[in-house]
Amino acid sequence: MRKTLSYLAERALLVLISIVVLFPIAWMFLTAFKQPRDAYSLSLNFEPTLQNFVTVFSDPWNLGSMVMNSVIVATVTVAIAVPCAALAAYSFSRFRVKGRKFLFFLILSTQFIPAVVIVLPFFLMFRQLDMLDTRFALIIVNLAIVTPFVIWMIKGFIDAIPTDSEEAAMIDGASRLRVIKDIVMPMAAPGIMTSSIFCFILTWNEFLFALILSRRDAVTLPVGLVSFRTERGDLWELMSAAGVMITVPIFIMALFIQKHFTRGMTAGAVK
Amino acid sequence: MKDRLLPYWLLIPAFIIVLATTIYPLAYSFITSFRAWDLTKSRRPEGFVGLDNYIYAASESQFLNSLWVTFIFVITSVILTVILAMALALLLRRKGPMHTFTRIILILPFAMSPALIGVSYRFMFNPEFGVIANGLGAVFPALQGVPWLADPQLAMGILVLTDVWHWTPYMTFMCLGGLASIPRETEEAARIDGASNLRIIFGIILPQMRGVILVMAVLKTIFALKMFDQVVTLTGGGPGTSTETLAYFIFNVGFRWFDMGYASALAWILTAIMMFISIWYVRMLLSERKMATA
Repeated sequence: MRKTLSYLAERALLVLISIVVLFPIAWMFLTAFKQPRDAYSLSLNFEPTLQNFVTVFSDPWNLGSMVMNSVIVATVTVAIAVPCAALAAYSFSRFRVKGRKFLFFLILSTQFIPAVVIVLPFFLMFRQLDMLDTRFALIIVNLAIVTPFVIWMIKGFIDAIPTDSEEAAMIDGASRLRVIKDIVMPMAAPGIMTSSIFCFILTWNEFLFALILSRRDAVTLPVGLVSFRTERGDLWELMSAAGVMITVPIFIMALFIQKHFTRGMTAGAVK
Repeated sequence: MKDRLLPYWLLIPAFIIVLATTIYPLAYSFITSFRAWDLTKSRRPEGFVGLDNYIYAASESQFLNSLWVTFIFVITSVILTVILAMALALLLRRKGPMHTFTRIILILPFAMSPALIGVSYRFMFNPEFGVIANGLGAVFPALQGVPWLADPQLAMGILVLTDVWHWTPYMTFMCLGGLASIPRETEEAARIDGASNLRIIFGIILPQMRGVILVMAVLKTIFALKMFDQVVTLTGGGPGTSTETLAYFIFNVGFRWFDMGYASALAWILTAIMMFISIWYVRMLLSERKMATA
């Protein structure tokens, strides 16, 4: 009797947690498919429409160009940060070079710098160079946040790979670079993939830099949300449609790495 | 010969990035923090003013208010997140299809853009057509028509709620990792001896999780100090200045009033707070490890 009771309580708790997690997301998705008049009612009985998506992609909102900016900024940031970080992570993981501990600590400690400190000088610099409101500016500042984090994550994954096969290949006369390219990177591939997606999510969701460094041309999706706040009030149905556009790609990626995610997180944090 | 330098060559690209994107701006804003520089008046920095910006901060009520707001926000969100994450992890470490399902969907709040979280909670707590505001009003008549985001305390509460909703999943994953790495034998032995669940959790599991809980608490503190996005999209710092955190205040000084010198000084105060906490954290962690190996 007690057993079934605690069994039921546990299930009920799990259901409750799932509702707390999913409800805000579900509500946003529902609102995105409502007509404006339904968006301001709580009724679930509405005629779904795609009109909001059509509206946000046309003038004056032009969500398309924001999607483009977000995709380019996040992709290029990942493409620069991940290879550089992977090489550095390998070096940190395998070699006992002088000052290694200090360097690693230096890189990690940059994680503790508030973003607003970083963006201030960059704002002044890009203003001087007339490069405000460009994707280039956004990529540069995003690298600051993402690179240390990715080094840390990939190092955790490389640490977990045994060195035997590397040593065997070196005895057979393979060079270090060959070993890295042909042995280590393929073995670390799931970890690097996870780190890349993680880095993509961070950059995609980044708000502060984009808010400060972009005005019109380089605006990314999260900042675009703010533009649905108009003199006529907040246009919730359009915000929700834009919200769906922000979350869907990221949710797919996140679910894809969910399994590796726990491992990558804890390996780095606890060691 | 070539091989001996290789470790350094591998580090160089990443180092150039880190130097150029963090060390350089850090140094730049440090120097700017000792200058007067009103961007609306001059394109170039004006003269050095010594510690004036810092001294001004110490007596400015808006800055002191933002420190207090940040303190309240950090304390509540860290405590709530850590306790909830620990509880969730203890629940979710068991096997079962519902457990697995919950674990999988738990990544969604973490992947959601914080700016969007702010927007959607603002929508749900709208007193007229917000689904949570109306739902609570229907269940508890006393809560009908409460102007959630127009009340200083409630607005702060919702701000904390969005942050806890966003970060608890990540922290739960960390706890799950920690739980997986502690040996199960003691726990099983205690269970056979008839120890209650609560005793097992508080007497056996939590003491072994000390290190992980410490790491979580410090990481969460850092994230909470940095939190910015939801302030913009949820409350805009209001009502009044009741949710104006330090990060948001710095943003206002720098990019609404364009006082670069003062903004830099404030940014460095925030950096100093964070550095202090992280050094303290590394120390605690090191002494923890010594205790573990001794």
